[in-house]
Amino acid sequence: SMAVATTPAPATRLAVIGGGNMSEAIVGGLLGCGYPLDQCIVSEPTRARGEFLQNKYPGIQVLSGPNANHAAIQGCNASPKTAPTSEGSLFISPTAAAIGSRPADVVILAVKPQVLRPVLADLGPLLRTHKPLVISIAAGVETEAIARFMTGEDPSIASSELPPIIRVMPNTPSLVLEGAAGLYATPDASACQRQLAESIMSAVSKEVSWVEEEQLIDTVTGISGSGPAYFFLMMEAMEEAGVALGMDRETARRLTIQTCLGAAKMAQSSPDDLRTLRVKVTSPQGTTDAAIKTFEAGGFRDLVKKSVTAADHRSKSLAAELGRPLATSPAATSDPNIVGAKEFSNKL
Amino acid sequence: MTNHPRIAFIGGGNMAEAIIGGLLSCGYPISRCVISEPVQARCDFLHAKYPGLCILSGSDANRLAVNGSISSADESSDASAAATVSLQVNATNAQELSSLAAADVIILAVKPQVLRSVVVDLAPALLALQPLVISIAAGIETSAIARFMAEGGQDSQSSTLPPVIRVMPNTPALVLEGAAGMYATADATAEHRQLAESLMAAVSKKVCWVESEGLIDTVTGISGSGPAYFFLMMEAMEEAGVALGMDRETAKALTIQTCLGAAKMAQSSEDDLKTLRVKVTSPQGTTDAAIKTFEAGGFRDLVQKGVAAADARSRTLAKELGGSKL
Repeated sequence: SMAVATTPAPATRLAVIGGGNMSEAIVGGLLGCGYPLDQCIVSEPTRARGEFLQNKYPGIQVLSGPNANHAAIQGCNASPKTAPTSEGSLFISPTAAAIGSRPADVVILAVKPQVLRPVLADLGPLLRTHKPLVISIAAGVETEAIARFMTGEDPSIASSELPPIIRVMPNTPSLVLEGAAGLYATPDASACQRQLAESIMSAVSKEVSWVEEEQLIDTVTGISGSGPAYFFLMMEAMEEAGVALGMDRETARRLTIQTCLGAAKMAQSSPDDLRTLRVKVTSPQGTTDAAIKTFEAGGFRDLVKKSVTAADHRSKSLAAELGRPLATSPAATSDPNIVGAKEFSNKL
Repeated sequence: MTNHPRIAFIGGGNMAEAIIGGLLSCGYPISRCVISEPVQARCDFLHAKYPGLCILSGSDANRLAVNGSISSADESSDASAAATVSLQVNATNAQELSSLAAADVIILAVKPQVLRSVVVDLAPALLALQPLVISIAAGIETSAIARFMAEGGQDSQSSTLPPVIRVMPNTPALVLEGAAGMYATADATAEHRQLAESLMAAVSKKVCWVESEGLIDTVTGISGSGPAYFFLMMEAMEEAGVALGMDRETAKALTIQTCLGAAKMAQSSEDDLKTLRVKVTSPQGTTDAAIKTFEAGGFRDLVQKGVAAADARSRTLAKELGGSKL
């Protein structure tokens, strides 16, 4: 559905685990919607990156160093220390304001998919204690795997002890607040929590769609997750075509990109389906007809469908790899896609 | 624009409507615009949508739109011809019709196939008035338009032809998101170019000049026909989603917003398109899988072939519609 950017409920305390591009986009988008700054804590392991975020968003709290993830979720009453300690500073925030003692209502997992397992193993007990809404934007990690990771792969922990999980497949245009996102919620997520996740993603997305089966998140990946690159490729080819025909590159580029934008705007504002839109602008024997006939003769449609399907299938493969239960055999632990907890903590 | 030239639209089709709509939404005075449109139903539609707009129809409508008030109409028409002239005039502007000024700008918005006869008919008025002539007709070269004017203006006192600016707009002008390429003949002044650019900017977000007319065919291949390429791309992506089990509405909405988001990123980024793509394509990831499939299937070459086909067709049409060519 079309995203309506509304401020999440004012008292919602937010923890963002991982301070990469998408986290930055979401924080920026939320602040732009009037989200109260002091309700947001970001935990980012790389000190330089943490400082960058703190400088860009002075009102939020940015944490780095040991236990930063825990502190972001738990909250604490301590005042920040700006002087480095022997362990490295915990707090980056230059303000004297206390972080606040309330645990997070919402935890956004924005770390690389490969480290999600050890991150969640580490945070599992805390998440099971506080049971915030867990929103994962990590590609290729299924909710079942996320839940399992939170138990540290301990089968004796009941799923009823685990917080609800909402899995999101956003896309890069979120960085310019023009994202498209697909969401899937585990059955234990309440309507209120679904609305909350939708509001958060609406801060950076113009289109937010729910899927009722998790496998469709792979399809979202194939369409909107990876899709921007398909259009970059299309536009690159059109620009090259213009240059090959004698046009200067800048003109070819500007006309191409605006054409892409204009087509999308027409499609969004028209009740016509995409086929009708195309037919309406394709006079028989005209220039558009010549181009479209060339595309059809070259199997354009099938190639596009094949590529979307390839991304969907790769998403499923990745999910199988990343979500694989940890075995004790050496072969499994040498898989480069799986970062062991020990290896992870050594990186801190 | 502080000075509002009087504009005559010859032909009231979609593009003319888009330009008028865009101008009006920019605050252009409606009294400075006149449309001449032969189809009654279309006139009724335009009248309903733009109540204050002067809309002319009938056999003398084009000339009236160009010349202004009836008293300056072609003096050689005989009495019986004058009696059979039937003009439909927008009722609210009937009183202003008599004070209608001559046009400063003519926008030729008729179908390419009828442009010749329209211009031949208007030639005496055009030569007498020397307005700026802007053509948005696909496939008609400025030299052809000049030839048509010379053909129709053989009996005129003036032999100087008005300057012609040729524009290749595109359909997203209808939602004020057009892309347009423009070419001006050598006799167009900087003021003429500025005027034409301002008019097209009312409906286009990007307006580019080309310095050789052959590149208008390339503009046609990229932005003129280009929206259809993206409609086809989006249609295929939507179908792919449906084939994989997604409901159509979701597949369509996500696809279209992805197209829009990609364009917005490209417009606001300093990176070129290749770099933008590489930055979002992690090795061995889902995007990589899709892009490898595109490349293995010859996607780039196919796109370039399609653009070239539209460009070539545009050149062929120009030869067909332009009549004799040296």
